[in-house]
Amino acid sequence: MKMTTRVAFDNMKYYKNRNILIGITIILTTMLLFIVPAVGRGMLEIQFAVTDRLYPSWHALYRNVDEETARKLAVHHDISKFGLRSDAGYMNLDEASVVMMYVDEAGMELYKMAPAEGTIPRREDEIVVSPGILKELGQQGDIGDTVTVPYQIFRGGELDLTQQKEFRICGFFEDSEDNYEKRVYTALVSEAFLKNEIPKDEIAYRFLLQIGDEDKPTTDEIEDRIKNAAEQFGIPESEININTDYLLANYVDPAMVPSIVLIMLIVMLAGAITIYSIYYVSMNQRIREFGRMKAIGATKRQIRQIVLREGLCIAAFAVPAGLLIGTFVSREVIEWLLKFTDSEAMEAFAETAREVLADGEVNLCCWWVYLLAAAVTVCTVYFSLARPMHMAAKVSEVEAMRMQTAGKNRRSRRKGYEFLSIGRLTLRNLTENKKKSAVTIVSMAATGVFLMVVATVLSCADPRESADNSLVGQYEILPDIEEYNKEHPERKWSEIQKDNPLNETLRQQIEALPGVERVDVFSSLRVDGDVFSEEEGNALNGIPQEYAKELEKGITEGKVTYEELKTGDKVLIDEAIKYWHPELKVGDKLNLRIQDGGRTFNKEVEIAAIGDYRNGLTNFDYLIMAKEAVDRLSEYNSSRYFHVIADKDYDQTLEKKLQDIINASGRMSMRTWKAEYEQWRTALATTRGASYAFLGILAAISVMNLINTMINSVHVRRKELGMMQAIGMSDSQLMKMLQLEGLFYTAGTLAISVGLGSLAGYPVFLYAKKHGMFNISAYHYPAAAAIVVSIVLLVLQIALAAGISRSVRKNSLIERIRFSE
Amino acid sequence: MKMDSGKILAVDGLVKYYGTGENQVRAVDHTSLEIERGKFTAIVGRSGSGKSTLLHLIGGLDRPDEGKVWIEGKDIFALKDDRLAAFRRKKIGFIFQDYNLIPSLNVWENIVLPLGLDNRKVKREDVQEVLEKIGLTDKEETMPNALSGGQKQRTAIARALVTRPAIILADEPTGNLDSQTELEVMSLMKSCVTDFGQTLVMITHDEMIAQMADRVIEIADGKVVSD
Repeated sequence: MKMTTRVAFDNMKYYKNRNILIGITIILTTMLLFIVPAVGRGMLEIQFAVTDRLYPSWHALYRNVDEETARKLAVHHDISKFGLRSDAGYMNLDEASVVMMYVDEAGMELYKMAPAEGTIPRREDEIVVSPGILKELGQQGDIGDTVTVPYQIFRGGELDLTQQKEFRICGFFEDSEDNYEKRVYTALVSEAFLKNEIPKDEIAYRFLLQIGDEDKPTTDEIEDRIKNAAEQFGIPESEININTDYLLANYVDPAMVPSIVLIMLIVMLAGAITIYSIYYVSMNQRIREFGRMKAIGATKRQIRQIVLREGLCIAAFAVPAGLLIGTFVSREVIEWLLKFTDSEAMEAFAETAREVLADGEVNLCCWWVYLLAAAVTVCTVYFSLARPMHMAAKVSEVEAMRMQTAGKNRRSRRKGYEFLSIGRLTLRNLTENKKKSAVTIVSMAATGVFLMVVATVLSCADPRESADNSLVGQYEILPDIEEYNKEHPERKWSEIQKDNPLNETLRQQIEALPGVERVDVFSSLRVDGDVFSEEEGNALNGIPQEYAKELEKGITEGKVTYEELKTGDKVLIDEAIKYWHPELKVGDKLNLRIQDGGRTFNKEVEIAAIGDYRNGLTNFDYLIMAKEAVDRLSEYNSSRYFHVIADKDYDQTLEKKLQDIINASGRMSMRTWKAEYEQWRTALATTRGASYAFLGILAAISVMNLINTMINSVHVRRKELGMMQAIGMSDSQLMKMLQLEGLFYTAGTLAISVGLGSLAGYPVFLYAKKHGMFNISAYHYPAAAAIVVSIVLLVLQIALAAGISRSVRKNSLIERIRFSE
Repeated sequence: MKMDSGKILAVDGLVKYYGTGENQVRAVDHTSLEIERGKFTAIVGRSGSGKSTLLHLIGGLDRPDEGKVWIEGKDIFALKDDRLAAFRRKKIGFIFQDYNLIPSLNVWENIVLPLGLDNRKVKREDVQEVLEKIGLTDKEETMPNALSGGQKQRTAIARALVTRPAIILADEPTGNLDSQTELEVMSLMKSCVTDFGQTLVMITHDEMIAQMADRVIEIADGKVVSD
């Protein structure tokens, strides 16, 4: 073994305590550096595998493409594979929804659809159904049998009147649980049927396509090509549907790599600062040792090598340990994340993910993640050692031999205290080692500030607020509306207005229920004209007096009072409209065509102000007036939403009673605050859990620093402390002194972490709010995080001081007094 | 054991062994002695004779395997650690060979440290008097690293004197000093005994120093061989 390696190895063993701390730091750093990419990659791989199983394989589809365009698109150079689908119509059933679609063979493949039995329909009267469809139809049959189907054909953007026809079953699809639960099914019909029912030039196809991937394009490039091809054939962007899930699953997303790199850089930084600081704090102690080595002939290079190799020797033990722990932890983390995604909405995903994991389809251990984590950790160790290496090499032989503790510019005189107490003694020691104390505090506070900033964002992401934002009150009751169904013209809002289930009787009935405080009625009228096209339209919201303050407070441009909104000539518009119509400004006039019952009339209104409102208030419509004004414009009942304000956020009895009322009417539906809340809560819990676990490990890394500083400060003063005890310092006084020293580090770290972290948290909150992260709307100080961090640090420091003073006492006073070096 | 009022310290059947079996070292082996108030006693013996261990036991820095030590009639090993520490800072002044000053404190602070640990008020005049006595009045604010060996030891003597202890224990206080300084320090210590009426017990292997003592006790193999 080379001499430098030998010395480095012996040093590693000699400075065992300190090197154990560095070892733990390296283990934790390696672990994080491994877990972050491993979990990221693992979750992606699982998602890809799940997507491959669940999602269709087309890259994009263009809606409303006619046959002629489809033929031209088919030969486009970027399109490698294509298929056609067209929805001929729906079976006319009371409750269930059964789409009758035609899909060609290539399309079937792109959709990953295939009948479980039989063949796809070719003749005009052939159909593929499922057992669920037969059940809904109330008929029975097997392949070759005939079924009678009532259906409405989709013509000119609307469902036509019901017809009836006999079909011969040529195949069966399997039903999923989801099909049964939601009562939504798909039946397959032939091209002949489609062309027979709908004139050729009226058939609207969905053109399914895959982009050629010979040149291994990224998702962004594929999306560009999809949009490009559409543009060449005059297909508007609104008619393009990109299969993002499938693309992300099979092609590299350029946004993914930088975020993983950023997180890893943060981990690297935390690890490097800690290792550097641990070395820095104990360097003085070793100055003599390096001086001696130089005196007996070690070169600067050799000294540097000794320091570096000592670090690398520790890494040689710690890195494999970190990788090993990381391997187990990352698997647990992935399973934990999957458990969290196991909400109703994600059931299919979580279930398939578990299948994928159990089948061993995804391999969580991947050689390059190990290599990456190990390489990055070794780099971290090297960077953190650069300065200690330089310091050790710079030591002058004579100076180092002469001085017990090398310190430059030691003062020979200093004013002192006339009277000494334990507190003053502590202060003396800390001020003597100002730079050391500062390095420890600053390096710990760096993690603390980062923790507080992340905690700010997380504490602002409140599922309660997100739910409040998406729903006014605890229950929202609204009539069932279908604007585009020829078979059910009575389901249009203008028709419902004439016989609106949301009437005064219902309101009183609900208000009489125990637990209901009041019912706030929001009116609405459909409008089009001016910037609103006839197809899309929009609505004029009539918001009641109770929300006057909220409306006025939300104004961001212009000025209008609730009283002025009662006139009916002025509207307040939601800021969101500017995304589609950036040209709109305060003072503009809108010429609206208002639909009310059967009648339509024009009205000119002025945009009095623009405001920023929660979706619960606007229900995603843009125009706002006072309820009184909207009601005045209407000759019918324009009550569109009943917002039930209850005394409790969730009351099972009340919800049941409301649900009974709704079920009895059969013409209304309900959204609940509780459901919204649950949805947000699950989503946030995962993010929060993962973030705090990550921050926790990061904090543990920086705590190694505190432990080292305190142990070191006692170690170098062992004799001094023994001396003080010899002349009468009691054990409890010693303990008190160590506690005070620790308290100083804790207080310093907390002051910077909490102080600076709170200040830095606010701009980050503003950024998160602006970019709609977690639906954040209000600033919440992360008090819980601040308290937890403070308590943990305090308890840790108290325990540490107790542990250290106990270990000091383990040696007898005599041993300590005699101790030198 | 009943103590004569003239005696300040009594040691009875003190035993301290280190190690076991063949490696056992009998550092102090059934030693008994008494020390008179206001006297300068020298304990002499060869290196490894157990004199330092005896001094440490007398000072309560270590606990014996057997035997008792009374200082001013108090059985010091009957005290718990914290009480013993408090007793030490009130009743015993220590002077060590390698001074053992606290490097982060200046001369004044080093001297008043035992008072601070005892939560006693510092009487400026008293400390000044001690400083004058040891000749360090102009060094109050000097840090230990800027002092000479003799000055360091004089500071340590001042620290031992400042609490007006019942007894001062010195462990080869001149071992690290040149002969000129040695003489200065010794005469200073001797004058403390006469001027302040202090009791001084000093370990030395220097014959000349032993000659200055009122009484010389010789130790060999952990036992008193001559008195």
